[in-house]
This record gives sequence, structure tokens and C-alpha cells, in this order.
Amino acid sequence: MVWPFSQSDLFRWLHAALVTLIVLFIAVPVAVTAVMSFNDASLIRFPIRAWSLRWYLDFFSSSQWTQALRNSLEIAAYTTLVSTVFGTIAAYAFTRLRFPLKGAFYFLVMLPLFMPGIVLGLGIAIAFGGVELFGLQLYGGKALVVVAHCLWAMPLTFMVMEATFKTFDERLVEAAYDLGGGPVRTFFEVTLPMVSTGVISGALFSFVISLNEFVMALFLTTRDTQTLPVLMWLSLRSAGTPRLAVAAVVLAAAVFLSLVLVMLWYARHVRKLR
Amino acid sequence: MTAVTLSEARPARLRVDGRLGQFALLVPALALVTIFFALPAIYMLRMSFNAHEGGQSYSEAWTFANYLRLLTEPIYLFSLGKTFLLALVTAAVTVVFAYIFALYLWLQRGWHKLVFLAIALCPLLISEISIIFGWWMFFPNNGVLSITLLQLGLIEDKISLMYTVFAAIVGLTYISLPFGIFILLSIFDGIDRRVLEAASDLGAPPLKTFAEVLFPLTRSGIVVAFSQAFVWTIGTYATPIALGPDSLWTIGLEIYQQMNTWRDWPFASALAMVLILLVLGSMALTRRLTGRDVTHHV
Amino acid sequence: MSPALELVHLSKRFGGVVAVDDVSFSVAQGEFLTLLGPSGSGKTTTQRLIGGFEQPDSGEIRIKGQRVDRLPPYRRDTATVFQSGALFPHKTVAENIAFGLRMRGVPAGEIGPRLKRALEVVRLGGFEDRYPAQLSGGQKQRVALARALVVEPAIVLFDEPLSALDLSLRLQLRGEIKGLHEELGFTAIYVTHDQSEAMAMSDRVAVMNAGRIEQIDRPENIFNRPANEFVYVFIGESCCLPLTVNGALRAPDGRPIDLSLARPLPEGAHRLYVRPKQLRIGSEAEVCENRILGRITFFEYLGDVYRYHVDVGGVGLFVDHAGMAPFGPGDQVLLGWSSRDMTVFQ
Repeated sequence: MVWPFSQSDLFRWLHAALVTLIVLFIAVPVAVTAVMSFNDASLIRFPIRAWSLRWYLDFFSSSQWTQALRNSLEIAAYTTLVSTVFGTIAAYAFTRLRFPLKGAFYFLVMLPLFMPGIVLGLGIAIAFGGVELFGLQLYGGKALVVVAHCLWAMPLTFMVMEATFKTFDERLVEAAYDLGGGPVRTFFEVTLPMVSTGVISGALFSFVISLNEFVMALFLTTRDTQTLPVLMWLSLRSAGTPRLAVAAVVLAAAVFLSLVLVMLWYARHVRKLR
Repeated sequence: MTAVTLSEARPARLRVDGRLGQFALLVPALALVTIFFALPAIYMLRMSFNAHEGGQSYSEAWTFANYLRLLTEPIYLFSLGKTFLLALVTAAVTVVFAYIFALYLWLQRGWHKLVFLAIALCPLLISEISIIFGWWMFFPNNGVLSITLLQLGLIEDKISLMYTVFAAIVGLTYISLPFGIFILLSIFDGIDRRVLEAASDLGAPPLKTFAEVLFPLTRSGIVVAFSQAFVWTIGTYATPIALGPDSLWTIGLEIYQQMNTWRDWPFASALAMVLILLVLGSMALTRRLTGRDVTHHV
Repeated sequence: MSPALELVHLSKRFGGVVAVDDVSFSVAQGEFLTLLGPSGSGKTTTQRLIGGFEQPDSGEIRIKGQRVDRLPPYRRDTATVFQSGALFPHKTVAENIAFGLRMRGVPAGEIGPRLKRALEVVRLGGFEDRYPAQLSGGQKQRVALARALVVEPAIVLFDEPLSALDLSLRLQLRGEIKGLHEELGFTAIYVTHDQSEAMAMSDRVAVMNAGRIEQIDRPENIFNRPANEFVYVFIGESCCLPLTVNGALRAPDGRPIDLSLARPLPEGAHRLYVRPKQLRIGSEAEVCENRILGRITFFEYLGDVYRYHVDVGGVGLFVDHAGMAPFGPGDQVLLGWSSRDMTVFQ
């Protein structure tokens, strides 16, 4: 295939050079952080003279940091669960129903995704700051963070699932009904498996968003419930240490691990369908 | 038809298939956005007309004082202007980078394409805080950039790009780049490559082909990608303070300060309303320019 | 005068695959040449090399005597009618057609009349302000045709322009293209995998296979005097009877067989081909110079003929017979054919 504008090598080289620069741009902070996490010195200094795993040991032996990691994973897990279930069932009904104000419903559900985290965080903080439920202070608890993260994650799964259900062949459901499957069984045995790729990618997006988010969490957590990104942010604002690099690597590792698991599942799933 | 008869044969409470049952499936999502987004937004709107006196977060009132303060005190106007400018520049840089990269991706085939897709995906999977930290180690006096240039003999004294507007734009672009790439790629993927060949075939040189064919066909993608990056940057809080100069005081940061340092809820809410308006405004503008909804395009 | 187009020892490979393998031919001014072949035969690549969308690894391309193989598409005097049409979706019909004229620096005053004439030629007067999305498949291809013809290129390249259309439209448009060719006298290179299209439209047909040209000749000769086994099998339907010469000439089941051959076949394996329409069955076969016994497996009605499938020593042949013959599945029948209708390849 000819490069679209020209066969001249000048354009092609220029394009390739610019793309290389962008790839470098993307690689820089990742590489710098990964390298720094294996640094032996107690300060962030370049060039690195000695290598070790001491900061990894330091990270995993600090109860404050491991607790933050646990908080992050817990919040991300609940966010994934809630936003995937809510987003999927809403998208299912949304694609099958016609009703007035359908466009308004779509807009309202999608809108939070486009709102700055600081606005969402502030809104929840001032609206629910003093609310008690069953004698428990909502503010500062993990539940509120989960809900806040769902405001970004749920619209995303809704969008993914809406696109998936749109391409879903309704005749399969009719065939299932025809064969005597009830609506609930049909949903679980026919519909859901058919759209599982969409569900899984929506869930993955939710998990990643929640794990990485920290502006809303900064508003809504206390010292006991703070997530890993929040702790990283606070620690960066006081003094950056190589421990932060380890935390960044751990966070990225959690994301990539979930991605790899999903890819493995997907590979098996695709093989089954062939 | 069969569906109706079968479900009618069942007890009514099992009829999830019925219209009412299906509407029930919309309720959780609707409740979530209503209770935790729409109602708080309305509450913030009300709050923005309250007064702030003494030690309390707010006192009930109906006053435009917060908005007047925002529009008359120079520091807030500056902050607004700076945020706006920062978002414009970041969005422009993002679009240029994303266009170059998405065009390249579009032209690739097979595993080569997958590799570049994975690279584009990277910034999306990394937390903003990790990105900030990465650049935080790259830009300062003793950072990677300075040390590398020094060792290569390209500079004689250590340099620092840390705490500059440049560093802030680098960080912000990094975060909005993947969205731009994927928006533009979806537009490129809808173009029949043969139209470029047809243009060339009919005598259009490269730059003419770009101006006459590729650019008009990707215009809506450019607008949506720009708007996306703008909306993201306008509400940003962390990156500008962490990487930019102290003078780069964005609205996001202002909201945080008003909320946490001064505990001035009404003024923080007024600032938040401005942000919401800016976001809605750019969404409406995008829709006008492209005839599409931003919400249909992430 | 030099030919409109000359290809000289042209080769192109993609990775390890040879797409075009040492192809040479020349096309006269005003000639309609079709590149015909199965998918992957290199016909499209050959055409893309001529258009300038791919660069040859070796060999030369000359248009009116000028070497063009290192020139980009926009400096070559060719215009392509693409399979998909490849109309600019953001431009109107008029803008699409005028595009090439503008790019070639035709004065603004001249564009209007030429555009008008081009629209008349493809019978799309009144469609100037429509966008491609508002046109039917056939109309789109007409615009694509007008867009290529209006610049009056030295060579018009057709890249399977009709393959996406349904049958009746395809027949109609191929007549129109042929008519325009006779009226305007442009030089055309037409790529297709549809043999009836190739036969109906072309002055000459080049049959391609595995990157090579198997035969390049007038359509009649391609059909009646195929240069080799590939061309014979690719063009039209054929029945194949494998034969061996092992002391005597033997049928597939090993029994000797008597054929009326001009000269005896050498030792080894051979394949005898006959067109199904030239095979005779039953009493009609008894008068033929060559005969063989077989057993009917089944027959089917094809609309104009009955097709009898016959097993001959484990090999399936089929015979087209006008009207129903007086036998059914399981019957033993005689097949026969004339010597001038058979072709034997070693």
C-alpha cells in the first residue's frame, strides 16, 4: 500500500519520525518510573548507581501503603460489580424499549462521564457530607467512593453495552422463547453469553478507571479509607521518594494483570466459538 | 408473537419480559446518576447562591455575591482565563499528536497495528498520578532530561523544565492523547482508503489530497477529539499544580482550595457551576459543528 | 507511433509472495484489454502497478513511450474506475467529476461544459448536486466512470467496477461501458474475474494465474484455442477424464480404451478434456468417433438443459442434454464425442 499522500520517501520518513517521537513521549514517564522503582538509593537521583528491590520490600512491609492498595482493590471491585450490573441491564432495556424522552435518558446517564472529577467529588461531598445511614457516617466511607467512581464507570459500561446490544440478533431470543425458554432463563443462557465480550470489556474499563482515579477519592476518603493513588498524591506533595515509583509500578501491574486475565479469557472464549 | 403467548401463560410476577419489567431495569442506572449526580448538581446550584460567613461552611441566602466575586476579582478572572487558555493549547497539541498517530495506525496492518494500538492504550491504563510522577522525575534540574543532555554534552549546566507551563501541557497532553487517538481512529476506519488513491489518481499531489479529501473527511473527528481534550483539561486539578508553575492556578485547584482550605462551600459551588457550564457549552458547540453528540463518541 | 501502454518484464512481490511475475505486454491506442483471472492471480496488482499505487520491484511501464514506473499516481496520465466507486463522500456529483479537471489545471471556463458533457455521457443530468450517499449503486458507478473519463486520460483503468452490482444492472452497465468505448475510443485496461464480462467487452483478454500471463489473445481464441490446461479449465465448464498410456491407452478404471487420435500419446498420465455441451449421450453417442461406457448417478434440471452426471470408472463427468433422455439413475449409458472437440494435456 502506498502511503496515502505520496510515494515520496520524504513524507513517509517525516511521518515515521513524528510517530517515533510520540512513541518516545508515551514511553518516557513509564520507563523512568519503572527504572526508578529498582533504585537502591534513598533519594530520587539520576543516574542510578545501584540496583535493588529494597523499595519493593519497603512498600510491602508498610502497613499504610498495603492498606491503601487493599482499599483501592476493594473499591475497584465494588465499582466494577455495580457499574457492570447497572450499565448492562439498563443498556439491555434501553435498546429494546421505545419511550418518550429516550434521548434525555441517554444524555443524563452519559453526562457524568464528561464531568470533571472535581465537580463530581465536590457535589457528593457537600450533598452527602453530613448524611448518616443506620447510624453510620457515609462521608469518608468506601461506599461513597464506589458510588463516585460508578459515575464514570457506569456510563462507560452502559455505552459499551448499548453498542453491543444494538448488534445483537433479536431472533436468537425469539428462537429461545420459541423453544420454551422463559425470559429470565433466556437472558442468562442466551443473551448474556452472546454479549459476554461487551460485558467483560465494560467491567475491565470500570476496574481500571476506579483503580486509577484519585481526585474524587481525595475529596471523599479519610486516612483510613484512602486509596493508593490518593496516598501517592499526598506523598508526592510532601516529598517524593522511590517508594512512589514502586507504588506506580504496583498500580500499573494490577491494571495489566487484570488486562492479561481478560485477554486469556477472551482467547479461550474465541476458541470455543470457532 | 410466540413470546407474548408464552409469557402470558406464566404467572404475572415472572413477566420480566413485559414492558414494565423492562423499565424496571432502567431504574438502578437512573437512580445512580440522579441521586449522586443530578441532585448534588442541583444542590450545588442552590448552594452557589448561599452566603459564606465566619466559621460556618455556608449560611442560607439568595445572593449573586459568589458569581459577582468570580467576575470582578481579578485573581479569579485570571484563573478562569488561564484555565481556558491551558485547555485550548492542550487540546490543540493533543489533536495534532493524535492525528499523526491515528493516521499512522490506520495505515498499518496485522501485528504491527496491534503493537501501535497497545502503545496508544498505555496512557489510558496508567493513573494520572503515576504519569505526573514520571514527568516529575524527568523535568527537574536533577531529572532524567537534564542529566542525559549533560552527559551527552549538549548542555553545560543543568536545566530544569519543571514547574513550567510547558511541563503542565506535556502532562495534560499525555492524559488526553489516547482519547484523541481512539476518536480519530474510529473516524479514519470509516474512510474508504481508495478515495485517497482516487484523488492521487486524478492528479492531486499529496498536500492537495490532504486538504481536499482527508481533512474534510476527518473534520468531525478533529472537532470531537479537540472538544474531548478541552473538556478533560478544563476541569483538571492535579497535573497543573504538580508540574506547572505556582501561577498556574486552575479553576479545579481553586475549587479544591475553597472547599478544603477556606471551607467556603457557596463559592466552591459557584466555581463548579462555571465548570459544568463550560463542559455543557463545549458539548453543545461540538454538536453544532459536527451534527453529532460528543456522548456518542468516546 | 508507440503503443498506448507497454509493460516490460514487470515483477512485484509482497514479502515472500510473488504477486506479479515477469509480466510483459503492450496495448494499442484505443484497445480494450481485460485482465482475467481467479483471485490472487495478480491481475489487480498488475493494474495497481500501472496506476502507480504500487511500485514494481523490477521491470518497466511505459505510457505512450514515456517511462512512468517511478512516477506517483498524480503524475501519471491514468484514471481508475474503482470497484467501490471510491467517490469522495463529502463532495457532490459535480464536484467529484470536476475534481480531476481542477487538479490537472483545466481552466475554470472549460470545466463547466466538460462536466455537463460528462454527465450527459453517463446519463446523470440533473444529479449534479446530489451526494454519493444519495445515489444507488449503479448511479455511483456511473459517476465514477464519468470522473475517470472526463479527464481524458491516456489509459482508463477499470478495477472490477461492476462486481458489487446485481446481475441485471451489471449486464446493462457493461453494455454502456462498451458503447462508450466505441464512441469515445479510450484505451482501457479492465480487471475482472467474470469471464462472460471479459469475453463480451474485450478486444483482447489476458488470462492471469499465479502472477503470470497464461495467454493473451482475442476472446474467441481464448475459448476455442486455449494455450494450456489452466486456460482450458478456467474458461467455461469442462469435463476431465484422466488417461494413462501403459503399453496401451487405458481409461481410469485400467481397461483399454480406443480413441481416434491424430497421433498416438506418449507413455505416462494424460488428461482428456471435453466441454459438457459437446458430449453426447445414449443413441446420439453411437455415431461419435470416441465412445466410453458409464453409469448415470443422478440428473438435474438446469432450466435450459438436463445435466446428466455419469460415473466413468470412478470419475465423474457431466453431459448437458436438451430435453429429457430416456434413462435414469443406475442405467448404463454410452458417452461419445467428436475428436475435434477434445483436448488432451499431459
